[in-house]
Amino acid sequence: MGSIGNPRDYLILTNNPMVREHLEGRGRFTIRFEPERSFREILVEARDLVYAGHILYTHPLAGSVKPNETPYKSLIVSVEPHGFDADHAGLMANAIAVFDKFRPIGWELEERILRDFQLIDYSLLCGALNIDAAAGLSK
Amino acid sequence: MKLELGYIQIKDIQFSKECKVENGTLYVDPDAVKAYLYEDDDVKAWVKDFSFDIAKPGESVRITPVKDVIEPRVKVEGPGGVFPGVISKVETVGSGKTHVLRGMAVVTAGKIVGFQEGIIDMSGPGADYTPFSKLLNLVVVAEPAEGYQDHKHEYEHAVRIAGLRAATYIGELGREVTPDETAEFETYGIKEGMEKMPNLPRVAYVHMLQSQGLLHDTYVYGVDAKRSLTTILLPTETMDGAIISGNCVSACDKNTTYHHLNNPVVANLFAAHGKTLNYVCNIITNENVYLADKQRSSDWTAKLCRLLDLDGALVSQEGFGNPDTDLIMNCKKIELQGVKTVIITDEYAGQDGKSQSLADADPLADAVVTGGNANEVIVLPKMDKVIGTLDYVDVIAGGHAGSLRPDGTIEAELQVITGATNEMGFNRLSAR
Repeated sequence: MGSIGNPRDYLILTNNPMVREHLEGRGRFTIRFEPERSFREILVEARDLVYAGHILYTHPLAGSVKPNETPYKSLIVSVEPHGFDADHAGLMANAIAVFDKFRPIGWELEERILRDFQLIDYSLLCGALNIDAAAGLSK
Repeated sequence: MKLELGYIQIKDIQFSKECKVENGTLYVDPDAVKAYLYEDDDVKAWVKDFSFDIAKPGESVRITPVKDVIEPRVKVEGPGGVFPGVISKVETVGSGKTHVLRGMAVVTAGKIVGFQEGIIDMSGPGADYTPFSKLLNLVVVAEPAEGYQDHKHEYEHAVRIAGLRAATYIGELGREVTPDETAEFETYGIKEGMEKMPNLPRVAYVHMLQSQGLLHDTYVYGVDAKRSLTTILLPTETMDGAIISGNCVSACDKNTTYHHLNNPVVANLFAAHGKTLNYVCNIITNENVYLADKQRSSDWTAKLCRLLDLDGALVSQEGFGNPDTDLIMNCKKIELQGVKTVIITDEYAGQDGKSQSLADADPLADAVVTGGNANEVIVLPKMDKVIGTLDYVDVIAGGHAGSLRPDGTIEAELQVITGATNEMGFNRLSAR
């Protein structure tokens, strides 16, 4: 069991294939790759874990990419429950409310654009993990 | 520390065989600028070619996708040089004398990722929403080298550096030109300021910087802001380019380098400095993805506000979504130190304006300035000329499938327009 803030305690919930592709084996964290889940379903999964006492390590919303633009979401919760945190639960509930506020855009994304959205999600996750995102890509 | 800005008013830009500023006209030789850009190895490695164009106010021109907007400046007296830690050596700036080529900007455009940001219309209804429609713009369009798809961090860096280098090259042309107007800006040491203005309220500016990852970054003296703790900056340092933008996402509420150089919060606080308040300093803080970083940075912001014995703080945000949490954490914690706050943000209140505006809130955030609702829908008419490319308009923040109509008009949310709901309050439209 990892103590709070230790990468051993990081459970990365993601539907982003680039995260699995480039981050697996690069740290002591655990990646739960769930390609069948939507952005919203990843949020709901994280919310339920936070309600059950898991710590939320990263903010559930991106800094500027809107939740209706990108299909990809990665966020980090604790592997183990450490006790209920009302602030974290509030962040998760608000994030889902924000997601529902944006109307679906209805565009069909071609592969190169999907890769770019994967890249942004991956890069933001690397920022949280303190991993050099670019170095990871060039292996 | 005192900084004098010498404003050289630029009234026209023309392509020429030589580079100079004469009688308010900037003459530019694109080949000379291009050669200077390619002196940088990263630019050489990742940018296949540059093309140059000029866009003037009132023209039927659309520039997209915009990466950064930069005002050319040159340090003519005093320590350091513009864009320290990136273009010039790392030496503290913000004193001495700097010349400003006012009325113009270098705009970088071109693709980096397949969903792209930022429209500047030089005329029509869109022009009202962006301050850059009022400037003479020298547009530098970058074309990526082969293989850039797997090296987008490197390519983004190269385009960012190219824009700064172009602005530096142009700024240098103003070194020997006598400014049309000068202005002085000075803040004082803590004790000195209290002695000079014993009865005025002590106010600082809490300047939040987007700092999250590729296309979401800001650099301070060359340091990625996500790797820094909250710290103090003199307001004049920002005028010499201590803060530069690497932020290409969310066109409407990102701060371009031009915004940092001409920060209206800084300008307005200086205008009131010594009259109705004592402008103490800027406190810069980041907006990270990791929650403990948000906690730590906002704790430090509040601690510095208390340490400086402030009476008030203005807090400006950058971006939307998780920075709303930083904004509210900063506001709440500063207020709990007994320091009054005013926050500046923008809204994503839905296309009908009826939804909750921010992703976070607190009763202590009771003084709020808004840059507007980024979800508001606008129809932009077809322009005669496009600088850059329209390839990405359908896949742009605030756009949707079919945004680009067959007749060339664009229906989208205000989000698509560079600077439309800027959270420093750098806007042309106002309800004041």
